[in-house]
Amino acid sequence: MNIKQRLNEFRKGIGPTIKELKFMISRMKKSPLSIVGAAILVFYIAIAILAPVLAPPTSWDPYMIPREGYRAEPQAPSEKHIFGTAQGQYDIFYGCIWGTRTAFRIGFLVVLSAVAMGIVIGVISGYYGGIYDEVMMRFTDVIYAFPGLILVMALVIAVPVTFRFHIGPSMLIIAGFIACFIGVSIGSERSRLRLALVLLGLGLVATAIATAVFPGQMYLTLGSLMSVRFTPLDKVMLALVVVGWPTYSRVMRGEILRVKQEDYVEAAKAVGCSDARIIFRHILPNSIYPLLIMASLDIGAIVLTAAALSFLGLGAPQGYADWGQMISFSRNWIAVRGNYYWFTWLTPGLFIFIFVLGWNLLGDAFRDVSDPTLRRR
Amino acid sequence: MGLRAYIIRRLLLMIPTLIGVTLLIFGVTQLFSPYARASIYMTSPAQYRDVDLIIAKYHLDESFLIQYKTWLEELLRGNLGISKSLDQPVVKVLLKRFPASLELVIFSLPITIFLGIYLGVKSAVHRDKAIDHVTRTVSIIGWSLPTFWLAILLLAALYAQTGWFPPERLGSAANAVVRSVDFVRYTGLNTIDGLLNGQLWITLDALRHLVLPVTTLTIVQIALIIRVMRSSMLEALNKGYMVTARAKGLSESAVINKHARRNALIPVVTVSGILAAGMLTGVVITETVFALHGLGEFAAFAATQLDIAAVLGFALLSGVVFVFANLIVDIAYAYVDPRIRLG
Repeated sequence: MNIKQRLNEFRKGIGPTIKELKFMISRMKKSPLSIVGAAILVFYIAIAILAPVLAPPTSWDPYMIPREGYRAEPQAPSEKHIFGTAQGQYDIFYGCIWGTRTAFRIGFLVVLSAVAMGIVIGVISGYYGGIYDEVMMRFTDVIYAFPGLILVMALVIAVPVTFRFHIGPSMLIIAGFIACFIGVSIGSERSRLRLALVLLGLGLVATAIATAVFPGQMYLTLGSLMSVRFTPLDKVMLALVVVGWPTYSRVMRGEILRVKQEDYVEAAKAVGCSDARIIFRHILPNSIYPLLIMASLDIGAIVLTAAALSFLGLGAPQGYADWGQMISFSRNWIAVRGNYYWFTWLTPGLFIFIFVLGWNLLGDAFRDVSDPTLRRR
Repeated sequence: MGLRAYIIRRLLLMIPTLIGVTLLIFGVTQLFSPYARASIYMTSPAQYRDVDLIIAKYHLDESFLIQYKTWLEELLRGNLGISKSLDQPVVKVLLKRFPASLELVIFSLPITIFLGIYLGVKSAVHRDKAIDHVTRTVSIIGWSLPTFWLAILLLAALYAQTGWFPPERLGSAANAVVRSVDFVRYTGLNTIDGLLNGQLWITLDALRHLVLPVTTLTIVQIALIIRVMRSSMLEALNKGYMVTARAKGLSESAVINKHARRNALIPVVTVSGILAAGMLTGVVITETVFALHGLGEFAAFAATQLDIAAVLGFALLSGVVFVFANLIVDIAYAYVDPRIRLG
């Protein structure tokens, strides 16, 4: 089969998905709230991209907010600092602009990692069932037994600053590929071992990439002993992933249980397709899109939780451009009669609020559209 | 299966979850070195000389299971370690701080539930009318508002600007009376103790201080109830029995309240579990902003001081509270909807 034919087949294959998406978009266009939500997000994306132009960095690390001296008392907006300065003379405008990047980074990284973890574990427990399923469900039960923010709080203070792996990231990637290779080459068409090895390999590669993406410093010492140093923000993200993945893996599991019953999966099994082929070619394409959209709309909620942690003083390090931290700077200046220091909390709060509102407006419209009992009326 | 059998089964199912909760919290302590774990049980810095004794006493360098067993025994004996930030046993602090948080939740929970149901029903019955748009907008705004920022806004508008509703639990005059010997603290809840001691003004003062925190918690939590109530009400309004009820010639209020709302309430009961979680986390932030000296404020303060024993103790407590809240929700659910018991 040449490339053109394959492309055509691919187009035909995803035709219904595209049609469904087009239908959803056309429905969403009719809802004014979702338009507002989209506009808000475009605005924030523009801010994040234009951050170096809007607020040129002054030091080597653009995420550190420049400060104008060390006086404790916040200064009202002036020409030089159009949003004023926070406690310790941190420039609020700079913090808000670069905080947008921080927010997007936290949101995307957490959702990506949690979804990746959720999909892998959800697929295993949904497709194979039995003991895998039981263990997964009990484990998620335990995570669910805690209110999210409180567990995140406990994890943030418990995760050590330096974490030592005894293998470097390069070793991890190599090991991952070896596991994949062995997995593909050995075992019969439908062995579980084979799939397990492939998934393990992919997991290892993903871990290696994830540790590289996290902006913590990495040391590759002799004897390939790697230690990752987590910045406080990394710890927050890590904790949010730990608390967040069970939701996705449960959704994934449910979807897989549904799709598994379909005739085409039975047919694929009857023809003798391997488990990996059934999962990647038949089950995932038919079950993954709702999860992906749902998860991406969670970014707002995740940014909100991260901001709450920063507000409590558990998130970003002092002086890091982060909305929650901007507000935590204002904690000593809130209940001042006459609201003399309004600028310290009003602007950063608006930045968080409108950002989350944008995601929630989109999410709300999407949920209405995707609910089959409501939408076609 | 009768309701009683269902409750018994549900209670039995709770045991593994509770074990899991303790295992997870204990697992978190394993991220620390034995020395750091020993510091949980130290009462003073001078004890650092005896760190090896402490490690030996609590088996901190032995295998996971033995450690877990010792830890669980200490837990059942009411020993969660010493809070470094306050220099007191964690259990003692938690007990002392509990009433302040309870008072906040006692006032906020009923308002959230009843107002949320009312608004959700109104919104669904008048779908796509002005009231629906207003309610939905308010609920989505409440859902997007950072709790701490809403608290700050309220504090700025209603205290800093006008001086109406001050932060903290009591004013200084009331505080002096409450701390005095004559004032008997029956429950620790200022509003109730004021009444029991025959001092109405203390109750009023406590209520005045509760207005802002309760409003904050309610606005943030009510969004969920409104959303769920609205969508399940919309579903119920489209059911066949609505046509029957109308065809029988029932009044519109009977159709809405007796037929639609009753059936629509079931999903609201299910999400009440989420509400409980929201209350527990909301308490952390609300108490911090309003300086209410409850459990949540303690946990947040302890976390910034890297007070491991206190934070883990609070996490454990909220896990257990949450598990019990879910138990109550499940039983209420089975009570409301008999189909659950049969399944």
